[in-house]
Amino acid sequence: MEDRIRQVAGTVLRAPFTRRTVRELVYCGISGLAGVVGFFVTVVLFALGLGITVSVVGTVIGLLLLTLALLVSRRLGGLHRRLAGWLLRTQVAPPARFGKGKGILGRLDHRLRDRAAWRSVSYSLVKLPVAAGQIYALVLAGFGVFDVASPEIWLLFRHNSGGGLNPMAVVVPLPFGGKYDVSTWPGTFLAAIAGLAFVIMATWLARGINAADRALVRGLLGPSRISELERTRALAVEDSAAALRRVERDLHDGAQMRLAALAMNLGMAREKLRDDDKTPEVATVRELLDAAQRNAVDALADLRDLARGIHPPALDNGLASALTTLAASSAIPTTVAGAIGPRPAPAIETIAYFCAAELIANATKHSYANEIILNIHTERGGVLRLEVTDDGIGGADAAHGSGLAGLAQRVSTVDGRIDVSSPPGGPTRVTVVLPLKA
Amino acid sequence: MQVVIAEDAALLREGLIRLLEDRGHTVCAAVPDGDGLLAAVAGHRPDVAVVDIRMPPTHTDEGLRAALQLRKEFPGTGVLLFSQYIETSYTAQLLEAGAAGVGYLLKDRVANVAEFAAALERVAAGGTALDPEVVSQLFRATRQRGGLASLTPRERQVLALMAEGRSNSGIAAGLVVSAGAVEKHVASIFSKLGLPPDDSDTNRRVLAVLHYLRSPA
Repeated sequence: MEDRIRQVAGTVLRAPFTRRTVRELVYCGISGLAGVVGFFVTVVLFALGLGITVSVVGTVIGLLLLTLALLVSRRLGGLHRRLAGWLLRTQVAPPARFGKGKGILGRLDHRLRDRAAWRSVSYSLVKLPVAAGQIYALVLAGFGVFDVASPEIWLLFRHNSGGGLNPMAVVVPLPFGGKYDVSTWPGTFLAAIAGLAFVIMATWLARGINAADRALVRGLLGPSRISELERTRALAVEDSAAALRRVERDLHDGAQMRLAALAMNLGMAREKLRDDDKTPEVATVRELLDAAQRNAVDALADLRDLARGIHPPALDNGLASALTTLAASSAIPTTVAGAIGPRPAPAIETIAYFCAAELIANATKHSYANEIILNIHTERGGVLRLEVTDDGIGGADAAHGSGLAGLAQRVSTVDGRIDVSSPPGGPTRVTVVLPLKA
Repeated sequence: MQVVIAEDAALLREGLIRLLEDRGHTVCAAVPDGDGLLAAVAGHRPDVAVVDIRMPPTHTDEGLRAALQLRKEFPGTGVLLFSQYIETSYTAQLLEAGAAGVGYLLKDRVANVAEFAAALERVAAGGTALDPEVVSQLFRATRQRGGLASLTPRERQVLALMAEGRSNSGIAAGLVVSAGAVEKHVASIFSKLGLPPDDSDTNRRVLAVLHYLRSPA
């Protein structure tokens, strides 16, 4: 127990003399000042912006001011994040990059809805009391150092004006503190002890308040939970698409290639046995070779279907190429139309492909259609739209089985959506809308 | 017959060399990628090139692109695409510039050595060799379904074999019927589909059939 107390006391008393304390105090100074300035800049810009926006006459100017306020807040947030990284050794990842919109209105809209900027604004507002605490900690430390040095100051600059010694002022920077006069040299030692206490208090105050600031920086200036989840989900979706692609490639370069070589070797062996050789042994070997060959070819066909179900190789050449083959193997005449502009991410292409495959299979099974039309195109605003229309009997229901619910689930992993229009009597039109990036 | 092989899997490359040399053909060069193929064809001017589609560096359609370039630069060299998959868009690109001296077969077909060699010889001689899978995709994709519906099942079989690029005797062997019966079927198919009367030249006949299958309604 005694050891423990000594240990804690040691930590408390030694703290002021560490390099970390210097860093924390420097942080208090810079970040505290920046926080106070940032608070007022933010409040003034917002007040002006909102005021002018509401006044109708100046809506445009007001909105521009608001945008400016958000921009400034984002920058200030970046400054605080870097300060925390440099002085507090707290590395916080930057928030999601700002996505510029198209055109002036789009840009304005994106700025006003920039989640990271609004979170920076809240940091700027919450920061004011924190900044006050930080500045106070620095002031406390400053006066403490001055007080500690008072015996030396007394000796160096003894206040000698005229006949007697002038008393020396010692400041106690605490609530209900104030200024005290010390008029004897031994009295300055008392001041020095008090100063030491102030320095220790300042040290721990700085640490405490910086810990709070650190939490704020982490919570408000880093990537938000939502954008973090969006990012990791996109990674997961891309990753699984890439993994499936790798599996298909391994199948192609491994098992499929070896089976093809096996089929070829069997074929060459079979060639060596003349059909007119009626020896029973030869006839048996011939039969066995024929069976082995058939099995090899069947296994190749099975593997091909399996690999197609994992990742159709034509997708590597783009969605259009893969859909053409898909349409050509459909039992109901299927035409592909449309134009794909910028190429979607591989994961999106895969999802679009399997949607098309599932919808064609659905139509084949349930619609009694004579024709299927597959329309695919990219739209402005980064959207891929797939429309599968058939002239069948209609009555497809997204809610009840028929694979549509599964499709909706798959599409929702990338924030896509699926619309089904299938009145009784037809026609059925299913529209799948996907973003170009996962 | 002089052959150049482009195939990235060493096992298949060696197997093909052995298969062809066993049958008395000369393999001038066997290379693992598209650039090597173009260089080998330019150097050896073979009768035919056997080309794998997925080769390094991207493992997508290098072989197809090299084959299309070969068709343009060395029209005298036949090209047989040899792949694990039949892609409709590849077929379309390959047949774009005509079906003379081209082939597209699944790798499975090499199991029947005699047929594979016959297909390769056809392509080398300026004929056509399409995989049954290619033909069935063409049948399904064709807009001329009305015309195809008027054929009897047997006639459809004969049409499919014609589209693969086979001669009358090849078709007769495939269906195990007499050459005379095939001739009768062919004449009937041509009159039903409204094609010009049967040409004795197999290559021209294949072109007519493929043109019919690929033309818009």
